[in-house]
Amino acid sequence: MIRKALSKIIYVLYILIIFGSCAKDVDFEQARDYVFTPVIESSLVFFDEPAPSFLDSGVEIEIIQDFVFIEFFDDDFILDNLVKAEFDFETINSINRRFELRVDMLDVANQLQHTFTVIQEASQTGEDVLSSHIETFEDDSLQALKNTSFILFTYRLLPGPTINEDTPGSIQLKSKAVFYFEIEDAL
Amino acid sequence: MKIRSTLILFLLWFVSFSQNKQIVYGFLEIPQSLILNPGGKVGNKGYIGVPLLSHIHVNGGTTGATVYDVFANDGVNFNTKLRNAVNSMNDNDYISFNQQLDLFSAGFAFGSSYEKNEYLSFGLYQELDMINYFPQDYAILALEGNQNNINKVFDLSDFSLSAEVISVFHMGYNKKVNSKLNYGFRGKIYSSIVNVNSTRNKGRFVTVPGNDNVYDHIFDLNLKLRTSGIASLDDDQNSDSEGAIKTIANRVLFGGNLGLGFDVGFSYNITKQWTVDGSLLDIGFIHHSKDVENHELKGDYVFEGINPIFPESNGSETADDYWSEIEEDFEELFNIDVTNKSYTTWRPIKLNASLNYAFGEKKEEDCNCIKEELGYLNATGVQLYAVNRPRRPQLALTTYYYRYLFKGLRLKATYTIDSYSFYNLGIGLSAHIGRMNFYAMADNFIQYKNIYDAEGVSLQLGFNYIFKKNEN
Repeated sequence: MIRKALSKIIYVLYILIIFGSCAKDVDFEQARDYVFTPVIESSLVFFDEPAPSFLDSGVEIEIIQDFVFIEFFDDDFILDNLVKAEFDFETINSINRRFELRVDMLDVANQLQHTFTVIQEASQTGEDVLSSHIETFEDDSLQALKNTSFILFTYRLLPGPTINEDTPGSIQLKSKAVFYFEIEDAL
Repeated sequence: MKIRSTLILFLLWFVSFSQNKQIVYGFLEIPQSLILNPGGKVGNKGYIGVPLLSHIHVNGGTTGATVYDVFANDGVNFNTKLRNAVNSMNDNDYISFNQQLDLFSAGFAFGSSYEKNEYLSFGLYQELDMINYFPQDYAILALEGNQNNINKVFDLSDFSLSAEVISVFHMGYNKKVNSKLNYGFRGKIYSSIVNVNSTRNKGRFVTVPGNDNVYDHIFDLNLKLRTSGIASLDDDQNSDSEGAIKTIANRVLFGGNLGLGFDVGFSYNITKQWTVDGSLLDIGFIHHSKDVENHELKGDYVFEGINPIFPESNGSETADDYWSEIEEDFEELFNIDVTNKSYTTWRPIKLNASLNYAFGEKKEEDCNCIKEELGYLNATGVQLYAVNRPRRPQLALTTYYYRYLFKGLRLKATYTIDSYSFYNLGIGLSAHIGRMNFYAMADNFIQYKNIYDAEGVSLQLGFNYIFKKNEN
């Protein structure tokens, strides 16, 4: 009698647990649709130099050139997931000379992939003159950026009043890179 | 790579499933209630647990988003649900999982022949315990990046994980001092099979407007992951599953990193109907010295960009020299030191306490057991449970109703409020057929309506062979 009742109760509990518990519709396949779109900003090149910095032994330097090797674009994760990039430049000039900064991006075989020039107007009154330049890398230019293994900076003083030790003013450059990622299928 | 592992970590969050055993606690007829309170009342003369089946316990929960929140097939874009889930959680949300399996257990009463008022119980069980806090700031950085988070301090202590697999050999002593008071204690030897522990991370990453350039990126990293028992599983001798199983079996039997601990408890009858009891469990430590591998990432760095054009102002350095230096600094910053320094972990201490009221006297025909102890058909009460966790203790408050249905069957229903949910209903039964005892319990019944939306699930079951008190 007791056993019968017991087995009944256990049976009822069993039914309750089995059929009482259910699962609403879920779809784990959705996980494949994930897209993460982080946007990373990073400082790039910068300087802040007074006019006499453009002198070498009292003689004006017309062209300053320098380069950096970058391994950033060797990384598979970057190559696969970077969908757009921007280089933003801001310059402030109080020297009475026009300047230009040419940025050449070269691949591992020294082939030019992409080039752009940032122009900074002269400051005729000694007041700060502001300029900005945004270089956007999308599609072909993005591919060029990804191919880049070194960047050549060419800084040129354009014709104007000669600079000497007493020339007032300075030129300032700030820049940042903005990297737009679309991460999918990375897991 | 780093981003990838961060992504995996927080996707795992949603698919993984405390260790509160509110239904077993105080359940006199189940011998394993003595594991939860070594000083509890004893309801049998002796027992032998059915090997591997005497106690199976699984308990998991999430205080944050549930599987259903993220994976519901409701037509809402997955990425929207994922973002909502991330935004709905904070760094105090966690998932935790606890599992126990009795390998063997037994107990017997002893003492003078007319009144056996002492009880010895012992056994070996395996336990898995894991808690992982939601790494909120890491998730935000991975999902959004730093562009919309300039000046936001990404707190690197958000990553907190602790996981271990141990085996525990224990022996407990329980004494019934008089009709009112029982006390007991249990000594434990822990053998750690695997331990992973990263609970004291510090540091920050923040992007702020800079002086020289657009931004200063400030890295202050102090991250540490300690492991034991993992490195050697990759060894040659453990390369096949057979070798690995042998190694693990050896560790179960005291071959792992050893530790010591103890439990204490009591129960006291205030009146015939009112009882109070309490216990402290797992006051103990494990010293990890064998097979230790620690990973440490420590460093400070402020990056403001490259200052290339004017070599004169930086001595004879070229831009590329300057850049190489930065690259080296970064490599050093993210360089992970691997050490084998031994460490000690503390077991999560658990507190149980309850106040109980029994009522409804049994009729003589229902009961031929000792009237003094089993004289009532019903009991109700409140139970408090707390466990010490890396960030803060987890608490649970339970009220219950216990019913003696007839000689072979007792039921206990519980209602629990804890960090996982405010409406956790549980039910458990203990059945006795002849000398066999079977018990099964589960909680969170409301949430079984949609198991994927459950914030916590707890199951226990087991089989014992009981020597009853009335069978002298």
